[in-house]
Amino acid sequence: MKFEKRRATTKQEIPTTSMPDIVFMLLMFFMVATTLREVDVLVDFKLPEAKAIEKIENKRLVSYLWVGKDKRIQVNDSIVKVEDVQPVMYNKRQSLPNIIISLRIDRGADMGFVTDIQQELRKAYCLRINYSSTIKI
Amino acid sequence: MAFIKKKGTRNAEIPTASQADLAFLLLLFFLVSTVFDVDTGIGLTLPEYVPPDEMEQVEVPKDRMASVLINENGDVLLDNNVIPVFRIKEQLKPRIESKIELPSNKKLIVSVKTDRKTVYNIYIQALDQIKGAFFEVRDTYSQNKFGEKFIDLTEEQQNEIKDKVPIIISLAEPEAVK
Repeated sequence: MKFEKRRATTKQEIPTTSMPDIVFMLLMFFMVATTLREVDVLVDFKLPEAKAIEKIENKRLVSYLWVGKDKRIQVNDSIVKVEDVQPVMYNKRQSLPNIIISLRIDRGADMGFVTDIQQELRKAYCLRINYSSTIKI
Repeated sequence: MAFIKKKGTRNAEIPTASQADLAFLLLLFFLVSTVFDVDTGIGLTLPEYVPPDEMEQVEVPKDRMASVLINENGDVLLDNNVIPVFRIKEQLKPRIESKIELPSNKKLIVSVKTDRKTVYNIYIQALDQIKGAFFEVRDTYSQNKFGEKFIDLTEEQQNEIKDKVPIIISLAEPEAVK
C-alpha cells in the first residue's frame, strides 16, 4: 500500500499584482505632502521655545527672514544688510499684499537688532509678523 | 497562388513586473525629501510706521495699561513691580478678566518695552506669557459661556469671544540710539 501525502492544491503565494497600486497610493500621499525646500539657509540659528504658539494656516502667504548667531540677515537666498530689508520686503509686499513675515531669529540675538529689523519691516508696510518658535513641552 | 496574411503571434504587452520597483524608487525619493514642518510661532501685528516728528501722543488711562519692561539682565518690571518672567501670566490674567465686560475701547493694553541689549529669548518668553494669559482667559470664558474650549467653538462664537477678549499688545516705539 502506498501512502501518499495529500498536497494542498491551493497556491501559497501572496498576490503581488496589486502591490504597485498600493505603492502608488503611498507615493501620491508623499508627493502631495512634500514641500521641497526652495531656499538654502545660510545662517546658523536656534529658535526660541514658547508655549502659546499658533500655526500659520496659510503657507502661501509666508515669507521668511532669518537672523543668525553672527547677526547676519538672510532674505530669500541671500544675505542682506539691515538697510536692504526694507526695499526687498516692500517688493515682496507689492506682489503679495497680506504677506506674513516669519522671523526666524536666533534666541541669543539682542533686541536692539531685532527692533531695527522691525522698524525696517514697518517702513516696508509688512506689518503681519510671526516670531517663529518651537513648542516647549 | 493564395496569399495568406501572416498573423502576428507575438503579444504586445509592456512588462509590468518592474512597475513596483519603479514606484518604490519614486516613493523612496519622496519619503526622503519630505519635511513635515509646520510653521509655528507667536503672531503679532506691527503698528504702521509713522515718522518721529508726526507722532501723536495719545493719553491712555493708567488702569487700561499694563506695561512690561524687560531690561538687559532679563528682569521684568510689570507696573513698577519686579517679577520673574514666568509670573507675568498669573499677574495679567485677573486684570484681563476684570475688563471682559467693558466696551472695546476700555480693554487692557499690554505694552512691551525692551532694552536694546535684552536677549531675544527672554523677550519671546515674556511675549509667550502675555499671549498665554490672553489665551487662558479666552478658554475659561468660553468654557463658562459655551461649555467648550475656545478652539472647539464655531467661528461665530470665536469671534464673539475675540470681541470680548481682544489681544492688544503694543510694542513701544524704540528710543533713539544714543
